[in-house]
Amino acid sequence: MRILVVEDDSDLNRQLVSALEEAGYVVDSASDGEEGHFLGDTEPYDAVVLDLGLPTLDGLSVLENWRRDGRTMPVLILTARDRWSDKVAGIDAGADDYVAKPFHMEEVLARVRALVRRAAGHASNELTSGSVRLDLRAGRVTVDGSPIKLTSHEYRLLSYLLHHQGKVISRTELTEHLYDQDFDRDSNTVEVFVGRLRKKIGSDMIETIRGLGYRLGAASDD
Amino acid sequence: MTTEPDAPAGEKSSGKPQRSLATRLVFVAALWSTIALALAGVFLVSLYQSASERAFDAQLKIHIKALISEMIETGSNADSDVANQAVKAPAYRGDPRFSLPLSGWYWTVRRASSPSILYASESLVGDPLNTPPIADRESSASFITGPTGDEVRVLQQRISIGDEAYVIAVGAATAGFWADIAEFSRMVTLTLCIVGLGLILAIFLQVRFGLKPLTRLRASLSAVRLGEAERIDEALPGEIAPLAVELNALIVSNKEIVERARTHVGNLAHGLKTPLSVISNEARASEGPLAEKVAEQSAIMSTQIQHHLERARMAAQRRVIGVSCETEPVLARLIRAMGKIYQDKGIKVAFDQAGDLRFRGESQDLEEMSGNLIDNACKWAASRVDVGVVRKSDQATNREMFALTVEDDGPGLSPEQRAEAVKRGRRLDETVPGTGLGLSIVADLAALYGGTLQLDSSALGGLKATLVLPALTPE
Repeated sequence: MRILVVEDDSDLNRQLVSALEEAGYVVDSASDGEEGHFLGDTEPYDAVVLDLGLPTLDGLSVLENWRRDGRTMPVLILTARDRWSDKVAGIDAGADDYVAKPFHMEEVLARVRALVRRAAGHASNELTSGSVRLDLRAGRVTVDGSPIKLTSHEYRLLSYLLHHQGKVISRTELTEHLYDQDFDRDSNTVEVFVGRLRKKIGSDMIETIRGLGYRLGAASDD
Repeated sequence: MTTEPDAPAGEKSSGKPQRSLATRLVFVAALWSTIALALAGVFLVSLYQSASERAFDAQLKIHIKALISEMIETGSNADSDVANQAVKAPAYRGDPRFSLPLSGWYWTVRRASSPSILYASESLVGDPLNTPPIADRESSASFITGPTGDEVRVLQQRISIGDEAYVIAVGAATAGFWADIAEFSRMVTLTLCIVGLGLILAIFLQVRFGLKPLTRLRASLSAVRLGEAERIDEALPGEIAPLAVELNALIVSNKEIVERARTHVGNLAHGLKTPLSVISNEARASEGPLAEKVAEQSAIMSTQIQHHLERARMAAQRRVIGVSCETEPVLARLIRAMGKIYQDKGIKVAFDQAGDLRFRGESQDLEEMSGNLIDNACKWAASRVDVGVVRKSDQATNREMFALTVEDDGPGLSPEQRAEAVKRGRRLDETVPGTGLGLSIVADLAALYGGTLQLDSSALGGLKATLVLPALTPE
């Protein structure tokens, strides 16, 4: 799962990035509106944490531009202006949720988790497929009830596949969502991680669709 | 011409109320018109009187001349010596009233050297006519008291016939003359009174017509104050159009000042809250007594900042002139946003409003109050939130209001909790947010607009919040 953080305060930006990374997300960050808009416009993110008070281009305009250009990723806005008129303006501009400053990091993590889950069409914080169960809140994975240890890359891979279970996910898509923007996209490390993950959760869980990519769980209609 | 019942006492002008412009204009115009008409009346009457006196005297002079000619009638002895000419006793009856006893018309002839009368009209019946001495003058005119005690106008003329000088006096009672003058005065007074009344009426109408634009300006200003119009109509006569322009500029500047204050508060909020987020998150992520203390203190700072920002915002918010907003779009927008925020909970928010309604105040404030109420309801509801708006009149103050109700099917509040939640203006040291519902802010804001917030239990099972706010009077 790849998240974009757009926040101009460098300390808060750093805190958000590290908290999200600790929670198992790949995180890109931007410190002004234009950079944030460019990243959101060109990279596929699973969610965006967007501050409204930004230099060069304010958060509301960034959001409006994205929505106008057909960018549909869920956006969580951070706002110090916590009047309802401000919140509603944000939601009207296309935000999916808001967190008022000052906030606790747990709050932001919970909202981001909910947004990613909701965007993939899941109602619960627990994603399961067969014997594999992922608790998004605790970041715990169990197979047949017994916990297994995953590296952060393996966790992200499993989480992404579980969020989109039943769908065929291409290698490019996986690379885009599992690594940040600086990663060398040509490497074949995805295959390496899929292999390792198969060993831990059972080789039949992730199916390789030749020429197309990977699929976890039974094929879905869409 | 109604006065606002809710106008705070401090806003009333101090000192005695000044007399109205219309009263001043009518009063001054009526005063000078009355004086002018009175002077005109006096002048007319005195003019008439002197003309009448001249005519009266002219009549008496004719009689004097006739008398003289009768006295020196010398037809038969034309060749006799003029010096020895004898005076003939006149039996003048030029007017029948000279023959009627004490008719008021008299004549006498005496020698200039002696006061004793030589000849007199029959009307005197032997009584004397007390003429004043003529001295050396040729003639004189005077008022005397006649034999019957009436006032008599007497003209005297000195003539010389031969060596002798005579004084001829003709008099007539003035009773009829004065009656004429009095009658004329009455007529003049009556006429001038009618003219005066007509003038005052005309002045009144003129003043009313002339001041009409002022009345219009006042109505326009009042409409702006009540939020029924955004600016004053500037289509006014040249003298007061600049006033309307200035007032409009004042309204705009008032809005700008409030807007600026609000922006400052927002900037302050942004400036403080971001570092506060950093501090508190840093502290919570660390361990040790220092981290704990920082986390605790930053939480207190956060509450304090929130509290003061709310108060400052409210102070900046007080009564922007001439603002109103439709309730329906504001609420619909809010409910749409809530639907997105609470989409995981699957809450159905129903909205019902009968007819058009305008809130007499800022849309941001309506949004803030109803946003807090609907947000609370969504937070606590199991599955359903009902939002309704109805118009109602406040019987006590006769003001047009509307009631916004927000009900949910959540757990609700106990009567004690409800009473605590809407306590207005929580004291500073009570930094622990009572129920955490932010309802005291709603109650404070509502009170600023002269409205109320009331909490009851809902038929749906949860809380029912009723917000009563001023509405714009329907057209």
